[in-house]
Amino acid sequence: MSGLRSFVARRLLLGVAQTAAVVLLVFALTEMLPGDAAVALAGDQPDPARIEAIREALRLDRPAVERLADWAAGLPHGDFGTSLASGRPVARYIADGFGPTLLLASLTVALLVPLGFGLGVLAARHEGRLLDRLVSSVTLAVYAVPEFALGVLLVTVLALRLGWLPPTAVGYGTDLLGHPAALVLPVLVLLARPVCSLVRLVRAGMIDALASPYVAQARRYGVSGARVRYTHALPNALAPAAQQLARTIDWLLCGVIVVEALYVIPGLGTVLLNAVAERDVPVVQGLAVVFGVLTVVLNLAADLVARRLAPRSGVAA
Amino acid sequence: MNHENGTTAGPVAEIRDLRVEIDGRAVVDGVSLAALPGRVTALVGASGSGKTTTGLALLGEYPPGARVTGDVRLSADGPAGYIPQHPATVLNPARRVRALLTDIARTQVGHLPPGRRRSAARERVLRALAEAQLPDAAPLLRRYPHQLSGGQQQRVVLAQALLLGARVIVADEPTTGQDALTKSRIVDQLAAVAARGIAVVLLSHDPDVVRALADEVIVMRSGRVVESGPAPDAWRAVQAGRTREPLVDQPPFPQADGSTGTVRPVLRIRDLTARHHDGARGTTVVLRAPRLNLHPGESLAVVGRSGSGKTTLARCLAGLHRDQDGRILLDGTPLPPSLRNRGRAHLAAVQYVFQDARAAFDEHRPVLHQVARTAVRLRGTDADTATREALTTLASLGLPEDLVRRHPGRCSGGELQRAALARALLARPRVLICDEITSGLDPITRRGILDLLTSLVRDRGGLSLVLITHDLDTAARADRIAVLDGGELVEHGPAERVLTTPQHPFTVSLVEAAARLTARTGT
Repeated sequence: MSGLRSFVARRLLLGVAQTAAVVLLVFALTEMLPGDAAVALAGDQPDPARIEAIREALRLDRPAVERLADWAAGLPHGDFGTSLASGRPVARYIADGFGPTLLLASLTVALLVPLGFGLGVLAARHEGRLLDRLVSSVTLAVYAVPEFALGVLLVTVLALRLGWLPPTAVGYGTDLLGHPAALVLPVLVLLARPVCSLVRLVRAGMIDALASPYVAQARRYGVSGARVRYTHALPNALAPAAQQLARTIDWLLCGVIVVEALYVIPGLGTVLLNAVAERDVPVVQGLAVVFGVLTVVLNLAADLVARRLAPRSGVAA
Repeated sequence: MNHENGTTAGPVAEIRDLRVEIDGRAVVDGVSLAALPGRVTALVGASGSGKTTTGLALLGEYPPGARVTGDVRLSADGPAGYIPQHPATVLNPARRVRALLTDIARTQVGHLPPGRRRSAARERVLRALAEAQLPDAAPLLRRYPHQLSGGQQQRVVLAQALLLGARVIVADEPTTGQDALTKSRIVDQLAAVAARGIAVVLLSHDPDVVRALADEVIVMRSGRVVESGPAPDAWRAVQAGRTREPLVDQPPFPQADGSTGTVRPVLRIRDLTARHHDGARGTTVVLRAPRLNLHPGESLAVVGRSGSGKTTLARCLAGLHRDQDGRILLDGTPLPPSLRNRGRAHLAAVQYVFQDARAAFDEHRPVLHQVARTAVRLRGTDADTATREALTTLASLGLPEDLVRRHPGRCSGGELQRAALARALLARPRVLICDEITSGLDPITRRGILDLLTSLVRDRGGLSLVLITHDLDTAARADRIAVLDGGELVEHGPAERVLTTPQHPFTVSLVEAAARLTARTGT
């Protein structure tokens, strides 16, 4: 049996268990919150009899375990259940929210990779000199700014004061691609911190790799500078960066709640936020499954990439 | 390898009055050297004598922060080739073997039409590998460096230099870590390199190899040249000096108590088969050992050429090679194949000392802490007791307290190897595996370590030794010898019997090669 295949199989099995655990935990936590969907639906007329009626109509009066089992039984058929708040299928919610989230994530990653690796390699080449110190201190400073603060700052300066860009995506619905200007600020905010951590990781890895005997040998034997940097040194600096990149993509797809809320982008983060506010448990659970699976798959992919980049690590038992 | 016409050509590389200073201390002082085409110039000296610094100067490389005066000139165009002591360090761990070779070849095929460049480059690479005694190396090119044996790694690095068309090749301890057969082949190999008209600068502390190869000998001590001249004269002068290791009269390891038939073996190997993954191409069997016993207090030498499966056998015992079938029994209980499934007692019972002691220590923590940690982790002693025990053990191995409180970077290779032994002993092992632990060391240090192993087996009742080695002189000290060839256990028996009346043709050739190497150098 191939070691790689059994590794992937083991990790996928573990991933299924992890996702199940996440769903259980999320369910338990939403159960523990005061109030439920009936209270939320009753709105500004919290009449006990009315709440009880809604509860009965939504079948919320049954025991929690029964409700969970009911919902879980639908999963194998791809049925995520129906929303308590609107009665629409949960899958519909997820599909709607996924578009804007994926668009933001792809744009961010498309800029993140060249920027992160390029600046990292550049800083490593100039280790200890002005350019390196500049890149290092700026990345550290930007990394220290939380995204909600940066988001508000950018809106204030670039949108409200200077009026260069729309402050939010209000009114554009899910057709964000038709209004690229509205995407600039959110992508900038999403990009800010991941770029910094990636640059610093790549820089550290590259400094080690550039000082290594194998890079010295390649230089000694007349391989050109750029080739040495990108094909001989960089592969050794990539493994930790690949892990970081996977975590970043995971974060972009599963939890950019603050940025989506700030710029009013109808992505998965907004769907999650609304669902929690309405105690819409099936929607929250559906999102938990999607986020769990994404996390498992992305981390597995990162481990496979790392294995390819550091093949020796596969040797030790 | 004296060539009559060799002296007529001018030197292809020359050093005049080189002085390299680090922090005001001269590591090389007043060294001059001329590398003539087709000649082998040997720089001889113990570790720390400045020969590597001199050799690297030919490549235009100096230690960081060094102040250099003097003259280094390469008259030939193109860079000098370099074969370092540990060839693995110059092979990129994240790239396949072909990566650098192809990059070197690519620069040489620029004149061809683009469509033919790739195949021409590949052809050149394969030819260089064949010239470095790696024929049919196509499958090798797809492997990662860690999937090659030490000998193969060295030949790949030599192939890089040959591919480059270097006019000078600096070989740093090229025979270190090689078995007698390979050693003899490397001698032929470097002779063949010289015969192509390439100047070879050989840095070595192996007297046999220097005497077999060198046309000119430069003996260095503490950064200075103490003797230099044409090989025969220089050697006569050296005979009286200290660079020659007394290879004779090595005391054997103490014999195991009692006859091996009556005492129960501490370790039994039954039908062991180990495999190696070769990319997506499936698996290769790299070791087959149907039956091997190790008795308490016994030392077993495992000999064979590089790539014969010696280290794989050791890794199987230590639980570092997961892909194995068969059984390894410790005192009758089977050991799980992977050390992740072994309990603390099992981990402590089988201890491993690696070839590269420097790589086996964390450079940021004092040696003492790392040694003491074994007792804490594997025997559950508290930190204070562990430190006291570590100090006692280290002292008994000749390492004083002020030395072991330093970081590994400030200890010599020999000292670190002693510390690595102490670290293994702190687990109170039943079986101590020593994997080529002396092959990176100079003769005097090596002698010290081997004497130390002798006294360990004598003084620590019941400790068994598995000695992985390519060196028959070292193996001769053991009680029993197991011979591996191409992953097969071809012969095993009492050391004296195997060395004097070898049965298997491979053992015969191994013993003969060792004898030939000694004979050729006129000992």
